[in-house]
This record gives sequence, C-alpha cells and structure tokens, in this order.
Amino acid sequence: MARRVSRRVLAEYVAEVIVGGGDMPLTTQQLAAHLVVTRRTKELDMIMRDVSFILADKGIVSGTVISAYELAQETKKAIQSYVADVSKAKSISLSYQLDQAVIGGYKVSLPGSQIDRTISHQLTQLKTRFKKV
Amino acid sequence: MTNISIAELSKELREAIDQLETQGNLGEVGVVVRVGDGVAWIHGLRKAGYSEVLLIDTDEGEVEAFALNLLEDEIGAVLLGEDSAVKAGQSVRLKGTVLDVPVGPELLGRVVDPLGRPLDGGPAIKTKQRGLVEREAIGVMGRKSVHEPLMTGIVSIDAMFPIGRGQRELIIGDRQTGKTALAIDTMINQAKQKTGVVNVYVAIGQKLSKIARLVDRLKQEGVMEQTIIVATGPSDPASLLYLAPYSGTAMGEYFRDNSQHALMIYDDLTKHAVAYRQMSLLLRRPPGREAYPGDVFYLHSRLLERSAKLSDDLGAGSLTALPIIETQGGDISAYIPTNVISITDGQIFLETDLFYQGIRPAISAGLSVSRVGGAAQSPAVKSVSGNLKLGLSQFRELASFAQFGSDLDAATKQQIDRGQRLTELLKQPQYAPMSIWQQVVSIMSVSNGFFDTVPASHIKDVQSALLTKLWAEHKKEMQTLDKGGKPTEDDVKLVKKIATAVAKGFEDK
Repeated sequence: MARRVSRRVLAEYVAEVIVGGGDMPLTTQQLAAHLVVTRRTKELDMIMRDVSFILADKGIVSGTVISAYELAQETKKAIQSYVADVSKAKSISLSYQLDQAVIGGYKVSLPGSQIDRTISHQLTQLKTRFKKV
Repeated sequence: MTNISIAELSKELREAIDQLETQGNLGEVGVVVRVGDGVAWIHGLRKAGYSEVLLIDTDEGEVEAFALNLLEDEIGAVLLGEDSAVKAGQSVRLKGTVLDVPVGPELLGRVVDPLGRPLDGGPAIKTKQRGLVEREAIGVMGRKSVHEPLMTGIVSIDAMFPIGRGQRELIIGDRQTGKTALAIDTMINQAKQKTGVVNVYVAIGQKLSKIARLVDRLKQEGVMEQTIIVATGPSDPASLLYLAPYSGTAMGEYFRDNSQHALMIYDDLTKHAVAYRQMSLLLRRPPGREAYPGDVFYLHSRLLERSAKLSDDLGAGSLTALPIIETQGGDISAYIPTNVISITDGQIFLETDLFYQGIRPAISAGLSVSRVGGAAQSPAVKSVSGNLKLGLSQFRELASFAQFGSDLDAATKQQIDRGQRLTELLKQPQYAPMSIWQQVVSIMSVSNGFFDTVPASHIKDVQSALLTKLWAEHKKEMQTLDKGGKPTEDDVKLVKKIATAVAKGFEDK
C-alpha cells in the first residue's frame, strides 16, 4: 500500500508551483485527481490553508480584514503598513469584508495568525471571564 | 455567584476591561477541523507546544483545551470543558502558558475541581501564587532519605508497615475492602495528633455523594481546615479526571516547597489510568496491553516521583503519597497494579476474606510491605513492634495448620492464643485513629503477655479499660510516651502493673 502523502507535502508542492510560475492548471488537475483517488476531498480547505501558510513563509501574504462598517482609507493604509511590518512580506494582498456580526472594530486574518479587535470578540472574552468568576 | 458582592463583581469587571484593552497583538490562530468525545482536532498553530493551553472561541465564550498530540498536519487537543459549544471552523489561539492551578494556604478547607475552580459554593479562590500542573520532580541532590514518621493512627500500619514523610505507600485491594477508610483515618489522625501535615485528597471519578459524605465527615472531625479536596465525578470529562492528580500534587507541592509537610491521597489511580486510556484511544494513539497506551507507566511514575522528602537546603519539607489502586478478584499481578507497586515504596494490601471475617482493617500481613518506613518509625513503636509482623504471619500459618488436629504442644498453643489476641488487638473501628502512647501500651500488653489470661474475645474491652485507666491515673507518663521516645524500664513496669490489674477483671467473663 502506498504511503499516505501528508497535507503539508501536498501544500508545499502547490506552493512551489505558484512561486516558481509553473503550470497551474495542470497542478490543479493533478491535485484534484489525487484527492479524489485517495478519498481526501474533505481536506481541500486545510490544504489551501497550508498553501497560504507556506506562501506567507516565502513572503507572499494574502489576508482578509473584517469590519462592521466600511473602514476609512487612512485606517486601511495603517492596517496595510502594520501587516507589512509584522509579516516582513514582499507582497501583501488584503481583501476587505463587511460583517455586522462583529458589531464594531476590525479583525485582520492572515495565514496562521490573527488580530481580533472586534467588539464581539471582547464580549466573548468578558463572558468567559464571568463564567470563571 | 450568590456569594459575590457587587463591589467584588465590579472590581472583576474593571480588571477584565483593563486586560482587554491591553490585548490586540497579532497572535497565531488555528481552526477546529473536527470535534467529538472531548477531543478537538486543530489545524494550524504550528508553534503550539506539548501540553500548552489552547483557547477556542465559541458562542458560549472561550473553551480551554490542552494540546496532547502534535502531528505533522494537525493537533489533537483534549477539551477541559463540555464539547457541546465547540464546533468545526471555530478559531483557536494559544494561551501562551502550560496548565497551572492556584496554590497556597487559601485553598485549605476548600473543595475544588482540577482547574482550581471552587465546587463548594464558597467565594472565588484568590491565591497569590499559581503552580504548574505538570512539573519535573525534584532531583537527587534536592532530596533526603525518609526519616520522619507519618503516623496513620492505625496500629497495624504504624507497627508493621510504618510510613515516613516523603514516602509513597500504595493502598491496594478489591472494592469494598476499606481502602478509602484507611486514607481518611490517616487524614483524621493528622488533625487529632496536631502533626501540622496538610491533607490533599484527590477524588478521581468518585461518586459525588461519596465526596459530599467525606467532606461532612472531615468537617465533623475538624480536619477540613487543613485539607484540600480536588474532586472529579464520574460525569466529568476524562481530561479533568486525567488532570486531577497532577493538579492536586501542584497544590501539595506548595506546602512541601515552603518547609511544610503534606499528604497526598489519590483515590484512585485505577480510574485515572482508565481516563487516560480513554483519552489516548480517542487521540488514536496505539493501544498496548489491556488497551492502555505505551506511556501508562510514565503517567504514574512522573506523578509519584513528585512526592519526596526535601533536603535541608530546600527547607526539609515533604510530600507523602498514598495512592489507591482497586484490584479485580484480588489480582495484584494485573497491569496497572504491578506498575504502581513497582513505582511506590511499599504497599498495604487489603484482603476481602479478612474483611468479611471481621478483621478490619483487613490488612494482609504477608503481602503488605513498607520498604523505607522502618527508618522513619518512632522509637516508641519500634521498641514494641519488633517481631509483630513475623509473629502474626507465623500465627496465621499455625492457625491454618492447627485446624487439622487438636493435639498441640503447649508452646504452639500459646503462640496461637497470643496470635488470636494480637489479631483482636489490631482490629480498629473507622474514624478512631490511635495516638503513639495508645499504640505502644496496647502492643506491649499483648506481646509481653500481660493479657495472656484474658480470652481473645475480650481483648478490645480490656484494651479500652487499660487505656482509660492509664490516661486517668498516669497522664503525665503517657504524654511523655506520646512524644515517641523509647519506653523506659519504669514505663514498662507501670504498664505491666496496670495491665495485669485490669486483666484480672476480664478473666472470668
């Protein structure tokens, strides 16, 4: 029986192709076929997350910023420069999303890390604190 | 919540808000991939360390877990609370610490769970210090050999299998043979004899009604003020059962490290091993003998190694351990019993047959042993109990042999008679631990033949009469004897005189 290829190895292969400018459509087909044959299609999200981790290690960071309301240009700029500062990435792409559930503040999600300054998160922490008391 | 004042609540709230305002740095996050049976599988968190605490953001607040399986692709974490609120897709953060619990004198008199949260309805526990749940045991140079006695108040143990401070003595036996009773009596004795030893009772998966009864009893006996109870019930998650002895030990270590003496009771490690087996199987670790994981020996050895007598440089404190193991059908050669027997410094084996014969505590003289306690036995008890164990073992052998015939020589008959008296003497009711002088006088009277004229059935009566008379008429001498020094010739003469006189009143009964 063939040895199971770990998710990390698959992700590293995909990341190499992306960074090296390889044949992306072919790689996509290969990966899809492998996941179907090995019955691991449920792992697709995790593989994609691993790919984003590896790309971040190589200086290519893509993330999302979630806020309840549209952020001002100055705030977006500040977030962009903060992310550049902490990740030391060569290339940063941030997508902005609106979600009323966060109530206020913002949440920046990067590969494997997060800064959560939303009101909903602070309320959750308060809830936990009072449960303990 | 009912006991918390508004002022206290308001202070807590302010502190919580202050802490929240200072947070907000970029932190590593993972995501829950799947969850079930108290185990969450997490993707991400590549910097997570073994046994590190993880915080899962749920709708009900944060749920804590600790990382036990660090695999290439994911982390297996055991939840420290109910898994109903945890769902796949929720984000997980590192707390940045390994598990710790509150430690200190503030815990005395309290019933807490393995995370140090109160279970007794009392106010929140605020200690100045916290102790690591998993901690390395003290090294060789930090230790001293066991040399101070830890009196249990149970004559048969203190005389035949003495326990020293810093020793690990296993209490082993089938169900309903009085294992917990021995441990409770030892706790009560610490309060009665004012030894200053702090008790930490760890209930692992015990029925909550049993724990409630125990707390009531300890309160009645005035022991609760110097006792901490770490309680887990059968309905608690396996993770809490697994943590309970380690948390309790962290609480006991505080006293050990502050030049005090503490006594740990783990009731019982069989259930602990079962909880660990459940966790390990759910974490998909390979099962071994009896489906236990390969590191089940290390599970108990690293726990019991933390009990020690510290060197003078480290304050000479001690942590004594009385782990309890439940056997099935008296089989001490099963996997977990043999493991713990080999880890500890001796064992007290309780026999079902003896228990049902009315010999309680049902301690087996042949299978019990104390490997290091001899050096710690008080000179008073040592002077009278020299050949007690041998005499009792010989008696049991002779008694079974004598069943085949009635023609016995005088010497054998006397040995059997004295053995019967000794057996009667060593019977002791629960919650009635005896002080040193009571033990010394009782053993001396039987082994020196002062009670040879008294029928075995009246030994407990004559013993009671002797102790009452001695305390009433010779309190000063008995108080001196109670200090543990070897009895003088005058002491022996005094006991002989009174014992012989008391025995006369029981000859004809």
